[in-house]
Amino acid sequence: MNRTLILLRRELLSTFVSPVSWIILVLFLLVMGANMYISIVAVGGDLRQLLSSAYGGLVFWFMFLVIPPLVTMRSLAEEHRQGALEVLMVTGISDASVVIAKWAASSIFYFTLWLGLLPLWGVLSLVGEVEPGLLFTTHVGIFFIGSAFCANGILASALTAHPLAAAGLSFTFNIALFMVHFFSNLFRPGEIELLWIEHVSAIHHMVDELTRGILDLRVPVFWFTLILFSLFLATRVLERRRWA
Amino acid sequence: MIEIEDLSLTYGDRRALDGISFRVPAGAVTGFIGENGAGKTSTFRVLTTWLLPDPETQRVIVDGVDLLRDPQTACTRVGVLPEQLALPGELRVAEFLRFRSGIKNVPSRQARAEVSRVLEAVNASDMEQRRIDTLSQGYRQRIGLADALLGDPPVLLLDEPTRGLDPRQISQFRALLDELRGNHTLLLSSHVLGEVEQLCDRICVISKGKIRLEEDRESWTQRLGKAGRWQLELAPSADAKKVTQWLNQQPEVQSVNRDQHHWSIQSDAALGLRIGEKALEEGWVIMELRSEPATLESLFLEWTGSDSVAPVPGGEES
Repeated sequence: MNRTLILLRRELLSTFVSPVSWIILVLFLLVMGANMYISIVAVGGDLRQLLSSAYGGLVFWFMFLVIPPLVTMRSLAEEHRQGALEVLMVTGISDASVVIAKWAASSIFYFTLWLGLLPLWGVLSLVGEVEPGLLFTTHVGIFFIGSAFCANGILASALTAHPLAAAGLSFTFNIALFMVHFFSNLFRPGEIELLWIEHVSAIHHMVDELTRGILDLRVPVFWFTLILFSLFLATRVLERRRWA
Repeated sequence: MIEIEDLSLTYGDRRALDGISFRVPAGAVTGFIGENGAGKTSTFRVLTTWLLPDPETQRVIVDGVDLLRDPQTACTRVGVLPEQLALPGELRVAEFLRFRSGIKNVPSRQARAEVSRVLEAVNASDMEQRRIDTLSQGYRQRIGLADALLGDPPVLLLDEPTRGLDPRQISQFRALLDELRGNHTLLLSSHVLGEVEQLCDRICVISKGKIRLEEDRESWTQRLGKAGRWQLELAPSADAKKVTQWLNQQPEVQSVNRDQHHWSIQSDAALGLRIGEKALEEGWVIMELRSEPATLESLFLEWTGSDSVAPVPGGEES
């Protein structure tokens, strides 16, 4: 089996036997479950409005931005501090394989958190009209944007040997991507600068497009490019460690 | 076999390895000794390809593979037991070793047999299904060694392998290392010089990033013999000046220190008999005559105590 897949399997195994992961999962489901309930009350039972309300509010963005740094902070930083990274890297496995496996494992776990909410939507579909198309595009967004946030987390984790510092750095990267949207207030409709900001704004992508069922191919392409860029930088950082 | 020629490594502006050269013969157990920060772990990190040496490094050959040209192949020839063991406590021993065998490119069909083989080699077959975080330090060290043995690498690098073990575990671990002799080329870094003396066929002394000495067991045993001391105490009736003069005339005596009627003499083992004969002849009354054999520890302190290089064949110039 390919070494990347072997490492990915091991990372997933370690993630899903870790009590911290289960604590994150339970807290996530509790907070997002409460958020869903509040959103149902807010939209007065109109399930068509529920998606943009539940997956566009402050609680959603808080979880969306905070969970990836928590999931990724230990991946490289902790292993480097404990010496486990050295033991892994001296087997001849490539830097890229290590980075990809760590990122894939954290993204899979992160996406699993969101998939944990699907049964709620299943129950809601029994009592009202839930559009599967909307759910699909929303989860495409969660997958790509969440994976990009995880890639940022892996990069931050490669840059420092301290998990908390990695989490802080990763959160800073993510919040910067989030805050880009607010620069749009500086421009008027029709100005080219505003269009540029919309192309890189996570808020615009989620709130104005994906949760409304609009899937513009440029959105996944942008976030996928960002993932590749962060993973490339993380690989270079790992490589640099070999130069004493 | 390991051959290193002019290996240099610089961290920022600190030179950790300053053009070191040494050779570890195939199948031998070589003790790599030096004080903290001497460059032992840095050398290991280069040999495992974790760190890249400075560009002026001439040659680093591991089991016939040029590490500078082909690090990917070179690292497959090396198994390493690091000083800082980081084993995943949440995994079972077999799970961990199967994962490591996959990462080390052991074909998946052979993985199970390979795990059994290495566990047997380290006498830990009965631990296969135990979670790693429930193992004693001694067994954790064995699992670390089993990991190093996966894929049967010809070269093993062991960094402080008995650190943190209790005396019984140390004894068991040494026996284990002794069993590996001949099948693998072992480079053993240790601060426990008694262990090096007991296990190693050769020693290589490093200090401040330079090799101070490199020699085989025969040479250092001879050196130990010559570096021994005699403690002699005679009754006050003996003429102290005459005794000192006679001692200084003996060819094997290297130094004599006198305190009233007590002499401390650096010499080889043969001197004791000669002192006895001379005492009978001169009528000296011997109150005490005691041999103090030199230890590797005392030689180590001598070799690393100054910046000068021990003036011995096989040692490198400073």
